[in-house]
Amino acid sequence: MTRPDVREITFEIDGREVLAPEGQMLVDAAKHGDVEIPYFCYEPKLGQPVGACRMCLVEIEGIPKLQTSCSTPVKDGMVVNTTSERVKAAQNAVVEFLLINHPLDCPVCDKGGECPLQDISFGWGAGRSRFIEPKRHFKKPLELSPLIAIDRERCILCYRCVRFSQEIAEDYQLVFLERGDHTFVGTHDGRPYVAPFSGNILELCPVGALTSTSYRFRARPWDIEASGGLCTLCPSQCNVNFTVRDDKVVRVNCRDNHDVDDGWLCDKGRFAYQSIHARERITRPLVRDGGALREASWERALDEAAAALKKAGPDAAALVGGGTTNEEGFLVQHLVRKGLKSPHVDSRAGGFIHGEQARALARTDIAASVPDIEWAGAVLVIETELVDEAPILDLRVRKGARRHGTQVVTLSSRPSTLDPNAAAALRFAPGSAEAALGALASALGSPRAGLETAELAARAGLTPGFRPGHPVTGGEGPAAGSAERPVPSEDDRHSSGEVAGGDVAGALEAAAAVLRDASGVVVIWGERVAHGARGEQAVDALLAVAGALGLQGAAGSGMIEVPTTANGRGLREAGCLPNLGPGLKDASENGRGAGEIGRALGDGELSSLLLVGADPLRDYPERGVWEAAMDGASSVIAFADFRTDSLDEHATVVFPAESYAEKEGTLTHPDGRLQRVRQAIAHPGDTRAGWWVLSELCERVGAGLALTGAPAAFEQAAKTVPFWGGITYEELAGKGARWQERGASSSVPPAELPEGELEEPPTPGDGLRLGTVPSLWSGPETENAPALRFLAPRQRAELSAGDARRFGVSAGDEVDVSVDGQSVRAVAAVRASVPAGSIFLISGTAADNATALTNGVPRTVEVSRA
Amino acid sequence: MAGEEYSQRTGDEGAVRAAPLPPGWDTAVDIDKPPATVPDPAEVQVPEALREQIETIMARYPDRHSAALPAMRAAQEAHGWCSPLAIDQVASVMQVTPAYLSSVATFYDMLRTQPTGPRYVYVCTSVACHLRNAKAVYDAIAEEARDQDLEGVEVREFECLGACDMAPMASVDGRYVGPLDDSDAHELVAAIREGRIILPGRGLEDADYRLPWDPDAETAQSAGPEATGSELHRKTQPQEPEPPHPDVSPPGGTVKDRPEEEPEGQ
Amino acid sequence: MSAAETRVLLANIDEPGLQTLDVYERLGGYKSLRKALFDMAPEEVLTELEESGLRGRGGAGFSMGKKASFIPKGAMDKFLCCNADESEPGTFKDRLLMQKNPHQLIEGCIIGSIAAGANKGFIFIRGEYSHQADILEKAVAETYAKGYLGAGILGSEHDFDLVVHRGEGAYICGEESALLDALEGKRGNPRLKPPFPANQGLYQGPTLINNVETLCNAPGIIEKGANWFKGLGIDKSTGTKIVSVSGNVQKPGNYEIELGMPVREIIFGLGGGPPAGHEVKCFFPGGSSAPVLTSDSLDLPYTFEAMAEAGSMLGSGAIIVVDDSVPIVSIALRLAEFYRHESCGKCVPCREGTNWTVKTLERIDSGEATPMDLEIMSQVQENILGNCLCVLGDSMAMPIGSMIKHFREEFEQHIEEARAAADLEGMPALGAGELASAQGAGAA
Repeated sequence: MTRPDVREITFEIDGREVLAPEGQMLVDAAKHGDVEIPYFCYEPKLGQPVGACRMCLVEIEGIPKLQTSCSTPVKDGMVVNTTSERVKAAQNAVVEFLLINHPLDCPVCDKGGECPLQDISFGWGAGRSRFIEPKRHFKKPLELSPLIAIDRERCILCYRCVRFSQEIAEDYQLVFLERGDHTFVGTHDGRPYVAPFSGNILELCPVGALTSTSYRFRARPWDIEASGGLCTLCPSQCNVNFTVRDDKVVRVNCRDNHDVDDGWLCDKGRFAYQSIHARERITRPLVRDGGALREASWERALDEAAAALKKAGPDAAALVGGGTTNEEGFLVQHLVRKGLKSPHVDSRAGGFIHGEQARALARTDIAASVPDIEWAGAVLVIETELVDEAPILDLRVRKGARRHGTQVVTLSSRPSTLDPNAAAALRFAPGSAEAALGALASALGSPRAGLETAELAARAGLTPGFRPGHPVTGGEGPAAGSAERPVPSEDDRHSSGEVAGGDVAGALEAAAAVLRDASGVVVIWGERVAHGARGEQAVDALLAVAGALGLQGAAGSGMIEVPTTANGRGLREAGCLPNLGPGLKDASENGRGAGEIGRALGDGELSSLLLVGADPLRDYPERGVWEAAMDGASSVIAFADFRTDSLDEHATVVFPAESYAEKEGTLTHPDGRLQRVRQAIAHPGDTRAGWWVLSELCERVGAGLALTGAPAAFEQAAKTVPFWGGITYEELAGKGARWQERGASSSVPPAELPEGELEEPPTPGDGLRLGTVPSLWSGPETENAPALRFLAPRQRAELSAGDARRFGVSAGDEVDVSVDGQSVRAVAAVRASVPAGSIFLISGTAADNATALTNGVPRTVEVSRA
Repeated sequence: MAGEEYSQRTGDEGAVRAAPLPPGWDTAVDIDKPPATVPDPAEVQVPEALREQIETIMARYPDRHSAALPAMRAAQEAHGWCSPLAIDQVASVMQVTPAYLSSVATFYDMLRTQPTGPRYVYVCTSVACHLRNAKAVYDAIAEEARDQDLEGVEVREFECLGACDMAPMASVDGRYVGPLDDSDAHELVAAIREGRIILPGRGLEDADYRLPWDPDAETAQSAGPEATGSELHRKTQPQEPEPPHPDVSPPGGTVKDRPEEEPEGQ
Repeated sequence: MSAAETRVLLANIDEPGLQTLDVYERLGGYKSLRKALFDMAPEEVLTELEESGLRGRGGAGFSMGKKASFIPKGAMDKFLCCNADESEPGTFKDRLLMQKNPHQLIEGCIIGSIAAGANKGFIFIRGEYSHQADILEKAVAETYAKGYLGAGILGSEHDFDLVVHRGEGAYICGEESALLDALEGKRGNPRLKPPFPANQGLYQGPTLINNVETLCNAPGIIEKGANWFKGLGIDKSTGTKIVSVSGNVQKPGNYEIELGMPVREIIFGLGGGPPAGHEVKCFFPGGSSAPVLTSDSLDLPYTFEAMAEAGSMLGSGAIIVVDDSVPIVSIALRLAEFYRHESCGKCVPCREGTNWTVKTLERIDSGEATPMDLEIMSQVQENILGNCLCVLGDSMAMPIGSMIKHFREEFEQHIEEARAAADLEGMPALGAGELASAQGAGAA
């Protein structure tokens, strides 16, 4: 569906002629004439109006009954009255009805002072109630989840929270129960409402019915200040509003930016702020002294770090990740390349992207923006679980599918939470993205696919995905929810609920058909595609798919990469790749990639490691290699916010890292939008700005840039990244700017989409293939924010019912997943949707981390009862 | 008892509202439990008959969600009520969240979210029946149910059942009987307990059913044409109590056979 | 006094075995369908229905043909829904039609589907009517077997599938858009209109929704023609109507009459009037949602227009008679309780207003009220009227309002007597003076 273009019309409201976009709901159109119409249930972000609260009734000439202005699109020449006696009477009536069961406990209500019901009662109510009957009584407040408390007496049943759960997040856990005046908001069978986006209902609630357990009674609206900022906990880079009291962040709300987050936040972004004020946080420089890390002065820490790096010189290497800003990234590579004359810097966990590929992927004519996702005819999601890796994009895909008929196609090793919304879903064996993409390219008629589609599909271990409630093959089959299901064998299905398997060719063709027929295709692909030994070939296959889809230059079409770190894109553009300098220009000397750096440190070929926002032991594959690397490194300099065993053991110097509420700088959103992270609170303890620390190190190794501040750092970086040119630091303060939409974008180094035939992907072996997937909750923020701690994931092994039987394990069992003597303890989870032959573990967990089993090539594991 | 408590708690006195406290109304969630997401077919065991029934129903509609009501009905007949387990099973087959089904189930009067069944007696006390003294009939039946410790039967007042011609009337598991009189209460309850047909000849579905005032009605029926509404209104003397019925079957002994007898559903 | 029925829909109602296809066919069943399929173009079928002036028998009384004509032409999926959720207190005509003559309805549905160009139909029957639903399901199965339903009906171009869908007990599902939500497997909440079902109904597709009795009229109209139908009844109220007479009459039941028969004849001639020694106090002319009329209106002709002019409505054609032995407060309370119980809870004035009204009436009945409460209660009815999402709120506000209007004295007397009887402390009798302060009353 293409974006509708709106024309202006004139209508009359309360005697004034007003211009407004045609079709806009009256309640919004009225604002163009400075007329405010009160409402509770209306919230355009939630989709179609429900007209439940009746607060927005207005009089429209020619229509006998009062109309709800939230559901009446404005038409040219319409004559509207919002102040007539009839309207006033109706408003008074509705306010009175609303209040008869609403406790008048404003003085002790958390919402007091920022409460729409309060405001509207004063503004549009009669100022009295004639209701003297007993009110509805509930025990209050009650827990709705560990994060949210519900006060049902205050609830006015406006539908906002339940609509969010049902139509935005689509978790469908929060519902209305009972009927009539007994209706109440609740969950099934006393279960908690725990879902990735649950916190949004706190902001949606127009009364004090839903309150945050972490903010309850912390502050009154007049105690607090709001400070616009950026959440850098994942690549979504949502715009946020920090609620600050006494220089502490006490709440995080969304700062609606349609081009980025559409006004939503995930619970990590909403509650992880608590980790900013965690007692355990490092707030002073630490220096190894007598075998242990001790607090030290900045002078000493900087001198020792500089000395260690200088000593290593070309044998030093740097790893950059997390929320590291573009400026910091630029400074790190400057420090390493110019200061230490070492080429070894990387910002990716694994795999290698060829310069030509990187530049091809950066082409402005195949770059999709976030809004493109919701308006695309089809969205192809490749090997990324958005809800875990870039949650807000998951909501955008759902929005497109629900409201604009976007056809979703999922191509991944692990079943996707988008499968129920998908028109087609394909599974491949973990690690076989290359073959899977080749098969799709071939099905799309790409001339580059060397082998037959069937052969490629076989090498990818391709199977049709199980889409709950859909027939297994074909696109939208007639009987959504018919009994027809992918079934290896009847008895299997019934005894075990196993449903994966089925007609591959049909499913592949269905997916290809959807993509072929769509007007505008957006490809969302996970960086994980490019990881591993054959990452380069996988990216080549990906580009073949892009070529076959004809994404170049097609309106509303393009690609978005979901990097594995929050500023993955920005760091690459700033030059943090072993083979690419700032601006994606080939580096004068190719350095080692992350994996090789690890090995080289272990073998003593490299001697010093600089870690900026990166924790390879937790986030990189081959944990074993990195343990050896830390042992082998003669010096380790780290920027960190929390101490870890490995730092305590190996770090030479640890600099306190800034939190995203303290930072100044810029990040690049996956769709190329440069956004500014701004300082909302003072640096805790003796923490100092990251750009300053890095430039101090540059000075000390003789590569000084004489930076005067964060803006200067940005200017420096922008000088070397030509396609950022012309964008000023100031203009990024609000909603940021996509560099592709600026004149300088033409200066991105040219690169053609490759045309040669694809390499033949390897033939997969048999056995149970291990896939590792990050969880939204597996990061350290979860452990360091008390509110979120309950979400820190226990390692679990997802496998099919058939494999579970084969290994003699059943759901809930403690199991050991092992390969090459290495093993990880996990809880078995039997999934109908997991294809036979695949098993999935969570990466990035504090304990039982799946990275202990990975080494960049597809691994075949054993499972046994613990 | 629970009913009264409920009434006070909620400030509700309406007779048809004297239902047990709805689950969740006044209770916090159990934050140690996992959230109720769409059950994984691999982890929920569903009785084969029920699964097939639900899958057949789903296939009837362009959108599987349309099967929600009939599927819940089927589950209620299998489990006696829409228990959390029953809901999980339906949710697993339909691939929807249990909450979606709970929300639907609690909206409709005939879906039981409390284990009050599996059989039911709905006594219509809506306007038209009310005019013909339905309240007295309900009270009599409720009292009999207590006296004969009727178990496994949901006895409740119900809104208009669409049978005002046979008012006052009741629906026993879908069998409409009437016109009733408080003197019918004993036999009605006894018949339920003993698994007999309720008031033979006085059920709407009976071949020879006639309204008492129907010209070609058999004469031998309780409420004759003369005993109309306002007569009943003024009726003060309670009927001569019939001799107590010998108890031939254990309380609730008939409940087991319900699914077969149940005329509704499928 | 005597009055005669005009049996059209109920013509063969007592025929043994009428439920079966054989008997129905023997009596001329499915002739009209063949005619509609083979001797008429779909447009002609539509025109015939429009011509006949047949008005909806469910309550709103909207022209059935016109409704069908709103269905857009084109290839999209269209649906026909038969509203068999007969729940309006006092109404039991559809129950009879479905139980005794299911094929007449099914034939009507198929003819309706031809007019609307619908290929999929649903009979949404209230779950309480399980016996009738079983009968319908049997009949539908028979009909499929005979090729009257399914793909290419009787070898024609027209495909039509029909499913019997049972409700689970919710009065609001009789409201057409709530019925659609229920049919889609949701809570039966009314939808915002526009869009109207004719454009965006079931599964977002164009949908024709008609009451059972309305559709049962279709075969007759197709067979005998619009003019024949117009010949029955008077001016804008054409055809016959099955009237459900209930309450304080000696012979409650369904009576099929030509519209236009004086109300008195229906209540006394057919219904036998109130029991000996009692007078008609008031009556609901069209189900419990219709404002009550007093005995002054007994001689009005029973037509859509006359009932409207008298300040009420013909509604579903259910006449509930209340005699002089019944205290008006007890009716008002029972009624309010009904609407509170059946309010879906979606919109505020209905959810809270019905609740408020019940509580006030309970106090009036228990002697804890003053005339001021009566005043407030009537204002609450005003505040509900016209401010709700659907008609349910109005359906309580209108009759309760009409009762206060016609029987204000009895209400006030009831209040005083009940208070005297209750003899509660600290409740001095209120004089008329305080009534004025009713507006400003209550704890703020």
